[in-house]
Parts: sequence; C-alpha cells; structure tokens
Amino acid sequence: QVSELVQFLLVKDQKKIPIKRAEMLKNVIGEYKDAYSEIVNMAGRTLQEVFGLQLVEIDSKRHMYILINNLPRAEGKYLCRNKEKEKMGLLLVILSFIFMKGNSVKDSEGENGEGLGQLSAHPSLTPILRKQHCTFGDVQKLVTGEFVRQKYLETTPIPMTDPPEFKYQWGPRAEKEISKKDVLNSVAKITGKSPTFWSSQYSEAQATP
Amino acid sequence: ENREAMLNPRSNRLTEALEEANTLFDGVCGAREAALDAQFLVLASSIGKEKANELHSEMSAFDSTAYAEDVLTFMGINRTEMEETDDSEDVPGGFLPKDAWLKMGEEALKYFKRAPTFHYMMGSFESEPPVPKQRIERQKKASRGKAERAMPAQLKKMEESHQEATEKEVERILGILQTHFENDPDIPISFFDFVIDPNSFARTVENLFHVSFLIRDGLARIKLDEDGLPIIEPTKPSGAGEEDSRAGARNQVIINLDQREWK
Repeated sequence: QVSELVQFLLVKDQKKIPIKRAEMLKNVIGEYKDAYSEIVNMAGRTLQEVFGLQLVEIDSKRHMYILINNLPRAEGKYLCRNKEKEKMGLLLVILSFIFMKGNSVKDSEGENGEGLGQLSAHPSLTPILRKQHCTFGDVQKLVTGEFVRQKYLETTPIPMTDPPEFKYQWGPRAEKEISKKDVLNSVAKITGKSPTFWSSQYSEAQATP
Repeated sequence: ENREAMLNPRSNRLTEALEEANTLFDGVCGAREAALDAQFLVLASSIGKEKANELHSEMSAFDSTAYAEDVLTFMGINRTEMEETDDSEDVPGGFLPKDAWLKMGEEALKYFKRAPTFHYMMGSFESEPPVPKQRIERQKKASRGKAERAMPAQLKKMEESHQEATEKEVERILGILQTHFENDPDIPISFFDFVIDPNSFARTVENLFHVSFLIRDGLARIKLDEDGLPIIEPTKPSGAGEEDSRAGARNQVIINLDQREWK
C-alpha cells in the first residue's frame, strides 16, 4: 500500500497541482481507510529517505498536499526542462514584485500608475512581459491560471468592488518552496544593491523562517 | 465612491467619513439602516487596510520600474536606439535574447525547493507492443502452414479414394469377366447381359463406364456376334493383343441407353 501511494504521489506531482486526500483515498488506499494516517506517514518517510522529498500539507482544512525538495542545494546546473525553467524565472520575478510591494498587489486601474488592468499588464511589469507570448503563450492565463492552480500564487477578490478587482499574494506552495530571504537576495543581486537597502522588507525576511 | 481620494495618505477623508457614520448610527433604529452601516464599516476597514499597506511600503520604497529595468538587464537585453515618434509607449526599446528567460530561470531554480518532476525513464508503454507483435506473427505463420498442409493432405486423400474406387471397380469387373470366360470359354458373354443391372439403372451406367475402361486399356474386347449383338470377352495378354487393341480402338460404338430402353 505504501509503495503504491509513493508512486501515486510522485506521478500526481508532475503537474504540480496539490494532491487532495480524497484522491489518495479513492485511488490507492481504498479499503484500508482506517490505516490512512499510518500509510501517509510511512509514505512520507519513504519519500524523504529515498528521494529526499518532503510531503507537506498546505491546507489542513481541505487536506491538500504537495511535494517539495528537501535536499540541500547542489552545485551545478539544475536538471530541468527549458519550458519549466522559463516559467520559474517568470514566477520569481512576480513573487519578488509582490513581496517587495508589501506582500500584496492589486490588479485594479488607478490614477497614480499603480493600477493595472491585469497583473501582467502592470505598468512596471510591462517592459518585461510585453511581446513574451512566444515564450509563455498567454501570460495572463499562465499567471492567473496555472500559477494559481499550482498554489504558487493566490488571488482574492477585493470586497465591494465593481467591476470586481483582485489582489495577488504568495500562495502556500510559494511559501514552502522559497524563502523571503532568498527573494530579497535575488532582488538585491539583480539591482546591484544590498538587501538591507530595503529595511522593512529586510526585517520581514529575517523574521520569516 | 471616493475610494481613491480616501486612499490618499494625506487625506483625512476616511477619518471624517468614519466620524460621520458614527453620528448617523445614533439615529438609526431600523434594521435596514443598520445593515447599510455594517456595509460601510466593511468598506471603511478595507480602505483602512490599504492605506496602512501603502504607508508601510513607502518607508522602504520599492521602485518597481527600476527593478523591471534591472531584470531586463540581467536577462541580457539588447537595447536599441529608438525614436519615440512612432511608439506611444515610453518604455525603453530593445529585444530580449532567446535565452533571456532561461537565464532568469537558472537564477530562480537556485532558490526554489522544487521537487523534480517524476517521469518514467523508459515510458511504460513503449516496450510492450513489439513483443506481442512478433509472437502474433509467428503464430499466424505457424497456423497458416498447418492449414495448408492439412488441405493438400485432405485433397490427396480424396483424389486417391476416387481413383482407387474406379480402379477397384474396373479390376473387379475384369475379374468377373475373366472368371466367366474361364468357366465357359466357348460361350460368349452378351454385352448387355454383362453390364445391365436389372435392378438399378444407375448401376448399369456405372458398369458401362467401368467396362469402357477395360476396353480402352485393351483388357477386354467387344465383338459382334451372328445376331449383331455385342459380346464381351477378356483379351489374352499376348503380342497379338496389340493388333487387336489397335483395331479395337478404331471401332467406336455409341450405345444409346436410356431408362425406357433399359426397362
């Protein structure tokens, strides 16, 4: 049972969409419902010991799980398909943007230029994202669709807005897979400044494990 | 409505609105007005939160435009000199190289604790088809071979039996003829007596058929007696037989026999 679950989780993780407990019960565990937590724990141990992957519950109410890499970062190039690599690049830019702007970014129109019809059409992001459909296809779809489904980003409607506006934040997967410290460091590296230049972001990054 | 105005950090509009709502609430007695008041509270708190947010980020102002430009530089943009006459965009001109996002991705992957996606190396479906195919082909060939062999064998059997039957019959009749003649060599055997089966027309025809073989092979002879009726006798296996057979071959007799005559 355990090895079946391990295989199931590894295959399910391909799309990077969080795995629901209900799916696990239906497809693998079946009659052994009572031993569910034991089986899951053992599977988690196997994943850690054999593959160096950690099974993390990101939603305790709805019981959703993801797999993250628990191995210390290795030297050298990370083996990855190019399409995946490019998406991760874009994701980093977006996550950096959101974090540096105080963990939340709106997609509404605004007068002072902070407004954006879509996150990907944000005036600040436009120089980066314009004409990038060759690489990414529909950028907005990628950002609000795939990244949200994979729980890298979270989008919530702002109450009392008409037409409805949304705000973007880090999703639970992003919080588990990348640290604010690393994001700040990457921003610092790219802009050629010291991370301490942005004092509040710096202190927040230090405070978050 | 005046959301943006309220958001302006310099304005005290929000505070004013809150105070106004407070005073208004004192006069409220109906449930509907209370609901309106609650709605207003939600709105006010959401605006308040945004204001606080902006206050926060102003302390360590993050210049997103500058960041964007730095990102482009990092990705290796080739900036071109562009005239601003045709483009209404006031963004810097330039184009990104093909590996721009790959470079960004390399950087990103350093920080993400992303589980590598799991794929079967050989693909679970690839190795199966060839093997059954070969087996099926071989089986087909084997079964076909057997079938073919079965067929000629069957056919041979049939043909043999057919031939055998005829030959046997012919031999049998020859035997009968010879026996008769041996018994009474001087009494000729009436041809008709010989071949006609009083009980069966079909049998008669068969007998005729078999006798014709004998004559053809020169094993029997048909002669005409004094009355002009044919008689049949076995030939002697001697050199003289050759002449006779030649002569015999010359005579063709057509016997017309149908059921009425037979009767």
